[in-house]
Amino acid sequence: MRRLGHLEAEIMDRLWTWDRPSTVRQIVDDINETRPVAYTTVMTVTNILFTKGWLLRERQGRAWLYTPARSREAYAAALMEDGLGTSRDRPAALMHFVENMTPEEIDALHKALRSVGRRAEP
Amino acid sequence: MNAVPALTGYAAVVGVVVPPLLVRSAWPHRIPVLGAVVWHALALSFSVAVALAAVGLAVPTEHLHAGLVGVLHYCGLHLGTGRPDPGTADRLAIALPSAVFAVLAASFTCHLVRARRLRDRHREAVDLVGRHSARLRATVLPYDRPAAYCLPGRRPRIVISDAALRELSPEQLDAVLEHERAHVAGRHHLVLAAMEAFHSVFRRLPLARLGREQTALLMEMAADDRALRGHPHEVLATAMYEMAAARAPRGALAVGGGTVAVRMKRILVPRGAPHPAVSGAIAAVATVVPVLPLLVACSPGLG
Repeated sequence: MRRLGHLEAEIMDRLWTWDRPSTVRQIVDDINETRPVAYTTVMTVTNILFTKGWLLRERQGRAWLYTPARSREAYAAALMEDGLGTSRDRPAALMHFVENMTPEEIDALHKALRSVGRRAEP
Repeated sequence: MNAVPALTGYAAVVGVVVPPLLVRSAWPHRIPVLGAVVWHALALSFSVAVALAAVGLAVPTEHLHAGLVGVLHYCGLHLGTGRPDPGTADRLAIALPSAVFAVLAASFTCHLVRARRLRDRHREAVDLVGRHSARLRATVLPYDRPAAYCLPGRRPRIVISDAALRELSPEQLDAVLEHERAHVAGRHHLVLAAMEAFHSVFRRLPLARLGREQTALLMEMAADDRALRGHPHEVLATAMYEMAAARAPRGALAVGGGTVAVRMKRILVPRGAPHPAVSGAIAAVATVVPVLPLLVACSPGLG
């Protein structure tokens, strides 16, 4: 299970880095440069990623060409915003360091920092 | 002739009168874990009072003590006061209070399961998108603002933005990570889930509303304290400011406001834990409060 998750990450990593539609063969060959992995395993996991919505695909001859559905940055931003709790009804699910604040509140924080003679680094 | 009015009165005091007083008192912020314990003790005490009042309503003619003996008897405890008659009233006397706790337990389980499902899905995505840093013991996500959060639970993750790595000093970064690790190690999500469960059942009750709010804040303070063990106060305070300020442009969504300010003030002007005797007394009260309704129900004057 853990290994499968690791392979998922390896596949996504390559597709994000290459930034062009790629076949399972290309992915397998690249992974095989560092360690042996079976074509069928990569094909299965790639298919799982497609089913989960992480990858898009189109046919080219007899093979599928895979591309990430969204850039790594777009996924990361969505995850971060989710994790930082812009949605209010999941306080117990994720815990974040600071909540959203208004500019006035930030100002008050700054004053609090200064009032004790500490310097807030810019 | 039973204890229902007394129990209702007690529940009203615990559920409505005490919470605002506790919010205004200063000591919970000085010793946040104990503060959270007291909130939970109050919630438990309120639930026990409601359950006992339900017994009183079900068995209006009997002194509650008999009903209680029945409950204890049912639980396998024999007090040597004779077997209660297994009548309908007795069965109700067991069913009603059990129902109160069954609903609370179901709500707690529901919150845990739901939260775990959310976290599992989130963690899976974080593992795909982020890069795990063995040095930081955290997963780094590309994001243009300094930010950090944690996914508690059995397979925890601490998530931090790459902007935080760039913009915070190594010391600040370490303090922030220590804060998140404290959430994970302290299993704070379970503490919050318990209060969430209570809140789902007694939604409008001040004790539920304030208790949930305060427990969340107290858990943050507990995590702050843990970070402060190994880092100077101003390091955590400035890190907090950096991260709060970075998120300000989205201020329109501000929720719960002001709690960062409260934490910041507490970090910068520490008042320290109260005298051990005071803490001990508070702990003793927290232990006694959940069983107080039993005393109210069984006090001789109310027979």
